[in-house]
Amino acid sequence: MIVAAAVWTFGAVALLATVLMIFQRSPVKAALLMLAALLSTAGLYLALSAQLLAALQIILYAGAIMILFVVALTALPAAWRDRPAPASFRRVLGLAAAAVILGELLKAAGPLKALTVDAPFSETGALGLARQLFGPFVLQFELLSLVILASIVGAVALTSRRRGNV
Amino acid sequence: MTATLLAHKDLLLFIGAAALKVLVFLNGVMGFTALLTLAERKVSALMQDRVGPNRASIFGLALNGLFHPVADGIKMLVKEDFVPGRADKLLFALAPFFALVPVMALFALIPFGDYVMVFGYRLDLVIAQVPLGVFLVLALSGLAIYGVFLGGWASGNNFTLLGALRGAAQMVSYEVVLGLTLVGLMMIYGTAGLQDLVRAQGKLLFGFVPAWGIVVQPLGFVLFLTAAIAENKRTPFDLVEGESEIIGYFMEYSSMRFAAFMFSEFVEIILVSMLSATLFFGGWQVPYLYDTGFVLPGGAALPLNHYLVAALQVASFSAKTVFFSWFLLVVRWTLPRFRFDQLMTLCWKRLLPLALFNILLTGAALLALGKL
Repeated sequence: MIVAAAVWTFGAVALLATVLMIFQRSPVKAALLMLAALLSTAGLYLALSAQLLAALQIILYAGAIMILFVVALTALPAAWRDRPAPASFRRVLGLAAAAVILGELLKAAGPLKALTVDAPFSETGALGLARQLFGPFVLQFELLSLVILASIVGAVALTSRRRGNV
Repeated sequence: MTATLLAHKDLLLFIGAAALKVLVFLNGVMGFTALLTLAERKVSALMQDRVGPNRASIFGLALNGLFHPVADGIKMLVKEDFVPGRADKLLFALAPFFALVPVMALFALIPFGDYVMVFGYRLDLVIAQVPLGVFLVLALSGLAIYGVFLGGWASGNNFTLLGALRGAAQMVSYEVVLGLTLVGLMMIYGTAGLQDLVRAQGKLLFGFVPAWGIVVQPLGFVLFLTAAIAENKRTPFDLVEGESEIIGYFMEYSSMRFAAFMFSEFVEIILVSMLSATLFFGGWQVPYLYDTGFVLPGGAALPLNHYLVAALQVASFSAKTVFFSWFLLVVRWTLPRFRFDQLMTLCWKRLLPLALFNILLTGAALLALGKL
């Protein structure tokens, strides 16, 4: 009963925050609403006893990625305007595209409802995840680190070139 | 009514016990925080050969400045709550909460004792016993960055924004090191739960050395303490808020909102102390003290009452916390401040490689000992 209440509450908050984020005109406030959505999703994971997923969601998304978003957004001219610009035609078009995607997602999510598997209860899932990552998927996992390394080298190369010009 | 209450007896007992633990533990932390604000000023006075605050008195009774925290609190409450005209009102009001709430929530994860038996029920002396405590500690401490950045951004002042940018860069960087220093501990003890970590530290190495974190991870402890002080934004890493010259992110704050930022820094001192004690100094463990009493390596034993054992363990944890708080205060008044590029170099070019090396070393040692 408590678990169900927590799932519904966190789900509702996540949904509300996401909708408000879409209609928020100030970039920084929109980012904070997205943070609220991310945190309530983490709460959702916690309620479903996926502790590792919840912790990683907060560490990676809320604690690292959203911080970078917020810092980058404050550098935008739009963030310094006292009154945000009104929505343009292009944004209305974007909203229509989003509605189409939402419809498709809902259609795809329909069959998922019938697909309820009684997974064996595990306290964290950390050990199972680690066994998968470093067992059958170890090659893919290590390849992924190469991709990240390449992106780091790319980022350093981009910034150092700009520094050379100055 | 009684029937439904009885049906949910376990749940009600759980909620009641949790509420009691929150009340006792958090009140203890808050009281200690208030005393710490006084201790900070007294330690600085000692270091600078002054007397320090000693004038606040009630009925002529000054007690060497013991009432100064109360006087400070009253002063903060009655000061004008100023909001700059250019500030973003909502975010300006929200930032102090972001600074204080994650730090306060973290205390729920810290075990302050083993357990006590009350009327036949086992009462664990930790508010939230979660199997992945270490990860949740890192997650919540990462959220405190928002308080710093939003405080500086919402003030609508360029100097506070610069302070906030410094703060965000510093905290994100040291967060990485902080996480990596704890990997070695988790590898050795094979658990990520804080209570389990403390229990594992009760074992003995070679029959007489307590298996505390500092014994098996000395490098990890040095790195952890450095990163934790940086995460806490205290000297030598306090260039987020150098009040007198480079100005900080909460320059525009006054009254209780300012107090929330200041208070959160002092609460973080206690948090860092408690985490150091829990992770590296055996938490509530007293060397050679077990459930039944003292058992020395030679074989001599001193049986003790269960409640006495529990009280000794809580006292041990409190003593360790007080010691590390004192240590952090002394560090602040001893070391000079870093320059910002030195701060970043220290993090990414020194501490981070050392933390990775520590993990490699731990793994190699575990492999050589056949513990993997």
